[in-house]
Amino acid sequence: MTAEEIRAHLDPIRDQFAEERSLVLPALKFAQGEKGHLTGDDVTEVAAATNLTPAYVESIASFYDRIYLDPVGKRVVSVCVSLSCMLNGSDELLEHLCSREGVSHEGGTSADGEITVQEAQCLGACDRAPCLQVDAEETMGPVTLSEADAVADRLRAEPQPRPVLR
Amino acid sequence: MPDYAPVDLTGTDLVEFELNGRTVKAPAGTMLVDACAANGVEVPIFCYEPRLGDPLGACRQCLVSVEGIPGLTTACSTPVAAEMMVDTVSEEVREAQDGILELLLENHPLDCPVCDKGGECPLQDRTFRFGPGESRMVEPKRHFPKPLKLSPQIALDRERCISCYRCVRFSQDVSEDGNLTMSERGGRSEITTFTGDSYNGRFTGNVIDLCPVGALTSIPYRFTSRPWDIQNTPSVCASCSVGCNTELTLREGEIKRVQGRDEPNWQVEEGWLCNVGRWGYGADQAPQRLRQPILRDGGETRECSLEEAVAAAGLVLAHEAHTTVLLGGDVTVEEAFIAKELAAGPLPDAQVGSAGVVGAALGPLRALPAAQLGDIDGADLVVVVGGDPANQHPVAELRLRKARRAGARIVLVGPRAQELESLGESIRTAPGNLAEGLTSAVAQIATVKRPLVVWDELDLDAEPDAAVVLATALGDNAAASQLELTSEVNGAGLRALGVAPHSRLVDQDLGGVLAVRANPGAGPGGDAWNRALDSGGPIVVIASHHSELTERATVVIPCSSHFEHEGVLVTAGQRAQRLRPGAAGPEQSAPGWEILIALSHRLGVALEYRSPRSAFAAATASAPALSGLDYDTLGDLGAEIATSPASDVNGAGAPRAHDGEGLPLVTGRSVFGGPEAHLSEGLVVTATGEEAVLHPAEAARLNVADANLITLNSPNGECTVRLRLDPGAPEGAVFAVRGVPGGTVESLLAPDRAPVNVTVNTA
Repeated sequence: MTAEEIRAHLDPIRDQFAEERSLVLPALKFAQGEKGHLTGDDVTEVAAATNLTPAYVESIASFYDRIYLDPVGKRVVSVCVSLSCMLNGSDELLEHLCSREGVSHEGGTSADGEITVQEAQCLGACDRAPCLQVDAEETMGPVTLSEADAVADRLRAEPQPRPVLR
Repeated sequence: MPDYAPVDLTGTDLVEFELNGRTVKAPAGTMLVDACAANGVEVPIFCYEPRLGDPLGACRQCLVSVEGIPGLTTACSTPVAAEMMVDTVSEEVREAQDGILELLLENHPLDCPVCDKGGECPLQDRTFRFGPGESRMVEPKRHFPKPLKLSPQIALDRERCISCYRCVRFSQDVSEDGNLTMSERGGRSEITTFTGDSYNGRFTGNVIDLCPVGALTSIPYRFTSRPWDIQNTPSVCASCSVGCNTELTLREGEIKRVQGRDEPNWQVEEGWLCNVGRWGYGADQAPQRLRQPILRDGGETRECSLEEAVAAAGLVLAHEAHTTVLLGGDVTVEEAFIAKELAAGPLPDAQVGSAGVVGAALGPLRALPAAQLGDIDGADLVVVVGGDPANQHPVAELRLRKARRAGARIVLVGPRAQELESLGESIRTAPGNLAEGLTSAVAQIATVKRPLVVWDELDLDAEPDAAVVLATALGDNAAASQLELTSEVNGAGLRALGVAPHSRLVDQDLGGVLAVRANPGAGPGGDAWNRALDSGGPIVVIASHHSELTERATVVIPCSSHFEHEGVLVTAGQRAQRLRPGAAGPEQSAPGWEILIALSHRLGVALEYRSPRSAFAAATASAPALSGLDYDTLGDLGAEIATSPASDVNGAGAPRAHDGEGLPLVTGRSVFGGPEAHLSEGLVVTATGEEAVLHPAEAARLNVADANLITLNSPNGECTVRLRLDPGAPEGAVFAVRGVPGGTVESLLAPDRAPVNVTVNTA
């Protein structure tokens, strides 16, 4: 992704933001759409397009759970670990998904590159705790362990939507 | 570090408010933490730092109760208002502050005895004063592999970080490099650079002083000392003429650390230091340091004692028909004064000269109201004429950035491409055309309320017509002031004593030479100087480090470095400031003033100064510009010397013609190119060498290629140097870095730095 492409994406939405600095988030989301994650070069290009330093852009990118600075699987499953979900068993849910996908108990990407499991802070679905979210699109809950298995199987069977909105 | 901003309780705009049941006063709008501190009440803080711009409120440590504001409020971001009722000691407040500390310590290791910061750590101190005696945490703390090298000089121990953001704000809002950031969030937050790059820059070391915990520490200093076995001494940095106020840390006879003072000089450096000033002390321990006096007798070179060396110096100089005293640009006022006294009496038919330029046309500018670095903040227009503050007077850069943030207009006029051009309007002038280039800036000076001109001594000496234009423009606006960035560290002090530059002496028979911290062979007109020194009499050198001159001297007497002796330097803003000895120096060395006094005894006319203090008193009595000053009035922060009366330019205001064929040569120093950067262990990784810079189009015309060695020739000498092509460099001139140890760029210049042209060829 080049700075020109990112600028071309930002130009039409520029006047929606009071501060130029705020454009960094749409720029990051747009740049991430290409590969599903951002490389160091992408960060540098975003910085050039938004007149910020690469260090600052990287710090923002690292702040958000849905901006990825490392490669992720084709689909990302986020398990909420905030209070309501934790009280309703999100620890077991996360542990189950992690061991099922063969990743460390903090999350990671399955060996076949299909699914990334990660922790998420409150997804705004406390009434459906424990909940999980697929990419940034589909939030579901309460999720039992067998339902989680079904979700993972379904994601493997489905073609990956393009562009990925995470 | 200054925890709280200074508050003026003597002004007329004070409001009364109630603090812990007591009625006190502070200027309206002062932040509550500062107003409390000014009234003797400490509110604990971590993220608040008066020099980092607007308060952030990140750490929540300064919670206090203010009547009318529900709950507790952060004192760092609450301005004082009349009749406010503030309580900083109630049970509710105490519990809140205690609670915040307990949270900050949740992940912070409680291993103060093995931490480098232990004993001088704000987190430790405030935990004792305001915090919990015991931790209730039973969960494991977060762990990281032990420390990371944030830069070759800065270690980052992430476990100790309390995410106060001070270092990040310094990088974003003070040095404005933007390279230090906080990544991740919440409990995972950590200080980082882009993809883990080294945090390099001119001012990076300040984050060590800013860090309120042991997360950021100085690699050259860490684990070398303990707060209870060190001694701290306030002094002044002698790396450049800015004159930053420093604190020297002494342990076992050696300087172990230089840092900004807890009580900074708000008129000068505000507590910030550049990396050269911070880690340059290592040059004192370098192999090039002179540790033993040397005698050369015929072909024989031998080491001797100090007494023997001084006796020999007296002997060889007394036998000369006439003598020349050469002073470096960084000799103290005392050394220069005693050297002058020596020349006036004990030394046979002596003349004195110092490093520096004549500056015949600069008198009218210097006679205008002198500004201090601190005045840059309050100006509405800052015109920087010539120079390259970022490289040659680094801490001045931070003042310019601060002024820009405060809304001042910055105009840079000069022949160089420089980094600070992005701060405002930049007018590049071809060498010789500076006066013309000043037209727009001069027009702006006439229209604003508080214009301030920061001007470079060497660049205006080279273009006297511009100096005259500038002096006239400033003279027309009564509110205007000027700040000279002198080329020599004590240039203003030498001028105040009436010591003329030594360039006039180079064509004369030098006779016997006494050189004090001087090395003219490495300076402008080096070849001419070396010829003069070769044909002259014996050379006696008083110096702290080996140089080309000590190699050819008959007598070499090691003297103290500026970290090791007492004296006065008159730095930018004509500010006289005291050096204080932080260490004793090598066994067989002595302060320069003491060696000169001993020499006077040997020469048979003893000078009766028993201390630098008494020498300074005599100097002030003899020099009108210094009158009224003594060590006590200078104190820790120094004082301005009297402005010299306006002198007539006497025809020196005409443009100076360039000597020689080819393109005009523009030289300048590079921040990490000087001797400290090359000699000090802590700095050598960032040291840069000599180079010439050309615009690519110019290089194509001259048929020279990037990264090749090229030869520059001027009427004064020849120099071979690496070429760098830079599209940002103006066409029509050759730019070169001077002042690098062992470098030869200076030899292209005339002894008086008259402008020269150079021819360029592939070496």
